Amino acid sequence: MAATDDQQSTEAKLRQLEELRDEALHAGSDAAVQRRRDEGRLLARERAEGLCDPGSFVELDRYVRHREVEFGMSERRPYGDAVVTGYGTIFGRRVFVFSQDFTVFGGSLSEVFAEKICKVMDMALKYGCPVIGINDSGGARIQEGVVSLAGYAEIFWRNVQASGVIPQLSLVMGPCAGGAVYSPAMTDFVFMVEGSSYMFITGPDVVKTVTGEEVTFEELGGATTHASKSGVAHFVSPDEASCLEDARYLLSFLPQSNADRPAFAAPTDPPTREDVELDTLIPDNPNKPYDMHDVIRRVIDDGEFLEVNERFAENIVCGFARLGGHSIGVVGNQPRSLAGVLDIDASVKAARFVRTCDAFNIPLVTFVDVPGFLPGTAQEWGGIIRHGAKLLYAYAEATVPTLTVITRKASGGAYDVMSSKHIRADFNFAWPTAEVAVMGPEGAVNIVFRKELEEVADPEERRAELIADYKERFANPYTAAERGYVDDVIEPRRTRPVLIDALETSLTKREPRPRRKHGNIPL
Amino acid sequence: MDNTHVFQKVLVANRGEIAIRIFRTLRELGAGAVAVYADADRASLHVAFADEAYRIESYLNADALVEAAQRAGAEAVHPGYGFLAENAAFARAVEAAGLAWIGPPPDAIELMGSKTRARSVMQAAGVPIIPGTTEPVGSVEELRRLGEEIGYPLLIKAAAGGGGKGMEAVESPQEAARAFEIARRQGESYFADSSVYVEKLIVEPRHVEVQVLADAHGNVIHLGERDCTIQRRHQKLVEETPSPAVSPELRERIGAIGIEAARAAAYRSAGTVEGLLTADGEYFFMEMNTRIQVEHTVTEEVTGIDLVREQVLIALGEPLSFAQEDVRFTGHAIECRINAEDAAHNFLPAPGLVTAYREPGGPGVRVDSGITAGSEVSGAYDPLIAKVIVNGVDREHARRRMLRALDEFVIEGPKTLIGFHKALLTHPCFAAGETCHGIVESEQLAACASELDGGAAVGATPGAVSPARSRERVREVEVDGRRFEVRLLEPEPPWAEVARRRRLRSRVGAGGAGRDALVSPMQGTVLAVAVAEGDEVEAGQVICIVEAMKMENEVHAHRSGTVTELSVSAGQAVTTGQVVCVVAGG
Repeated sequence: MAATDDQQSTEAKLRQLEELRDEALHAGSDAAVQRRRDEGRLLARERAEGLCDPGSFVELDRYVRHREVEFGMSERRPYGDAVVTGYGTIFGRRVFVFSQDFTVFGGSLSEVFAEKICKVMDMALKYGCPVIGINDSGGARIQEGVVSLAGYAEIFWRNVQASGVIPQLSLVMGPCAGGAVYSPAMTDFVFMVEGSSYMFITGPDVVKTVTGEEVTFEELGGATTHASKSGVAHFVSPDEASCLEDARYLLSFLPQSNADRPAFAAPTDPPTREDVELDTLIPDNPNKPYDMHDVIRRVIDDGEFLEVNERFAENIVCGFARLGGHSIGVVGNQPRSLAGVLDIDASVKAARFVRTCDAFNIPLVTFVDVPGFLPGTAQEWGGIIRHGAKLLYAYAEATVPTLTVITRKASGGAYDVMSSKHIRADFNFAWPTAEVAVMGPEGAVNIVFRKELEEVADPEERRAELIADYKERFANPYTAAERGYVDDVIEPRRTRPVLIDALETSLTKREPRPRRKHGNIPL
Repeated sequence: MDNTHVFQKVLVANRGEIAIRIFRTLRELGAGAVAVYADADRASLHVAFADEAYRIESYLNADALVEAAQRAGAEAVHPGYGFLAENAAFARAVEAAGLAWIGPPPDAIELMGSKTRARSVMQAAGVPIIPGTTEPVGSVEELRRLGEEIGYPLLIKAAAGGGGKGMEAVESPQEAARAFEIARRQGESYFADSSVYVEKLIVEPRHVEVQVLADAHGNVIHLGERDCTIQRRHQKLVEETPSPAVSPELRERIGAIGIEAARAAAYRSAGTVEGLLTADGEYFFMEMNTRIQVEHTVTEEVTGIDLVREQVLIALGEPLSFAQEDVRFTGHAIECRINAEDAAHNFLPAPGLVTAYREPGGPGVRVDSGITAGSEVSGAYDPLIAKVIVNGVDREHARRRMLRALDEFVIEGPKTLIGFHKALLTHPCFAAGETCHGIVESEQLAACASELDGGAAVGATPGAVSPARSRERVREVEVDGRRFEVRLLEPEPPWAEVARRRRLRSRVGAGGAGRDALVSPMQGTVLAVAVAEGDEVEAGQVICIVEAMKMENEVHAHRSGTVTELSVSAGQAVTTGQVVCVVAGG
């Protein structure tokens, strides 16, 4: 055993491999690692490992090193560069992962950094698996100049190629600024961590120089801002561990790719379960709000609802759930917020959600209680026409099973938009409390009977009479049911069994669409 | 004894390690082993270990236990320890159902169950007792008078108490009122009996107990002592025999006291006379435990006698097959209780999933365990999950052997006391055989313990998946034209755990409660709620008391403000992270 100093011996080669691997594992300096720990953050590799099922993460490209020689960069060529990539499983299903490592060059994006990411994105697309990116980067590797920018663009291009083919998730767990934001922006879902992540195009310093506004990092692009003001963040988690868990949970609703269906799990919540509470949930006074979440939770399996964009455009509720064990996307107008009216933000939020579900074969269940579109100059000048059109377009375009339940108001154009029969919803149900009409009774009477009301002696009394009459004749679901616009009027308590039945009927739906390059959604 | 009739089947009205321990002896005797299980224990080891198992609502439901024994066709019931082991009504119900009770006569249980009666009977029989009252103390004034009479510090005990519950020390007259109230309340809540009695608190005593065996023919012998001095809040943690403080002469003396006490109680079966040994070698009777004890194992290790086997034979009416002079003590044995507790956080119960499990082995090592890899340690029961017992030629040999065994023991998932025991057994105080008062609770030991606690960190992995919890589905089937409802246990989907946790989390954040919400730090049962809706509270004020694994834990207001959305009430079960109330700021 004296020949251990022979560099050519197998033993020495094995030892060298071990040393290299150890070096790659410790690419970040101890000080940088400690700083991360002090901030309560996980390291890049820990995040990737924590995201995947225990022990399943397999790292790729750990010996990749940058080739830059300018600015003395050849002095420091850490193994793996500043990103950890690989694959693993989540609930037993294969996923590809990249996780940017802030402890190496501040997580800045170099040519090889981008190449590593592109490799796992290509693999994810080739093998039909979700790809999850964990973002924690200071931005471009300035020393590499345009090569770094090229790297970004390669990633952007792949984001688009993969869009609607495989689920793409972005977990922003640190800084993500400048052009770098566009990769998460083009993925299906963006997760952020409260207090420790931010996204913006230009930082507070530039903002101050250009516009004079004084704003903090957190206010400008923190998780709370993007969750409630911009709608950029679909999910916000209180800490990193919860963020990883939320991402895992979301994937349980999604298929591996658009060629698959989402995983089915036999429900423990009986499909035939009725809920009598639903029969008393709608207030007698049509102007009293109720919480659409209550309706949703009582209908879906075990009340387990993963809400998307929970704090953005709260007048519409979007989220994932299971119904009879099938993964579904739920959209519901929220009477508790702005009376559930459709405005620009709500339309855009729901349109995006509907298209995501349609792309990934997730049936849609829509609960309708909508008084119409929000009036006003802010909305008109903001383009409610083209933004509202997005939601209409998205529903009309969807070929997944679409089920609709009208709980109360379905008025005017908003009735058409919200998954109506006419834009090819599969099954439309209404509760007896539904009011399907062009507009509310007061407005309708004022217009239809304007002349008569101008002429009578006591217009107020006549108006009340006419309103009562209109209510009786039109503020109900039966005018629509007479024409087959709703398939059935059901007791609210039966909603769950009825929907499960309809869902299972429509799961085998096949709807070819006309050949075209792509539709032209009014963006 | 080989041709003696033995019970065909015995039902063990218990769970966990002690159920398995008893099953093992039953197997050796050729008796069938019948288990019972509550819903939370469906997948527990003791159920799989038994020959057959019956579902019951609770281990505390005497009727259900008797019914299960009858359904199984069992001829006898062994109660183990805890639960209904020292419940005379249960013993009587078993006997009334025509089943043999593997334990002491109900009258003896009843006598020893009342601390005050036990003291009077012992006093009359000439057994030395600690100075104090033999009658319940009715008022704080009376308590203060007793303080004058026998001198502080005093110890107040719930008359029906045990295992450290309902015991309060009184250092001075000023503390009398508070301690009196606490002991009474605990007595009421644990044992439905608020009467308390008072005795002199012996400072830094050794807790030394004597194992006795008594048959139905009037033979009573003792099997030496066990030293259980190492305790935390009156809960035993480490037991050994022989006691470092007991000489052969002293053993004779306290053994005789034990035998005397058993005779005075007309005892039968295995029992333990607990007493306090002062630094001067004085020995006082404290109480008699009318059951097999957790630490019976160390006696078995040094005497070679299977105590459970003796219990079964005594219940069959057999006379003891050996006399006092046949009992030989060989070597030294130590037991460490492996509890699912976090020594670094005030021994807070640490339920959870056991992700990896490997027992120690080799010469002189015995493990009595109720868990294995994949077991779920429930917060609803006692935190004791396993016991490591070693024997060696002498104390030092046994101590080193225990350290070696603890090193080999791998339990990943819940935090356990393995690290704590390593720290304690290496402490010079333990090595010297001292009482270690004050050491057990010391922060230094806790810090050392968490350092030595190898496996537990794994449980915190964010992506950790818990395998195979099951969901229940009920199906109707017909067999031979008879209709049955069959409960199918199917593994739940892998994401169910995440969904549950997330729901809990979103509930915490619901309605903007967020930071204002006060959550229960542990899983348990609400014992009492100290505030009402709308109360103004100061930060740190007690909001409610949550009992987890038999320990009372106070939940304090995390900020000052007004209590709203109070969502718990006494008797209600709460989970970790469940919102107790919202403390709204001004």
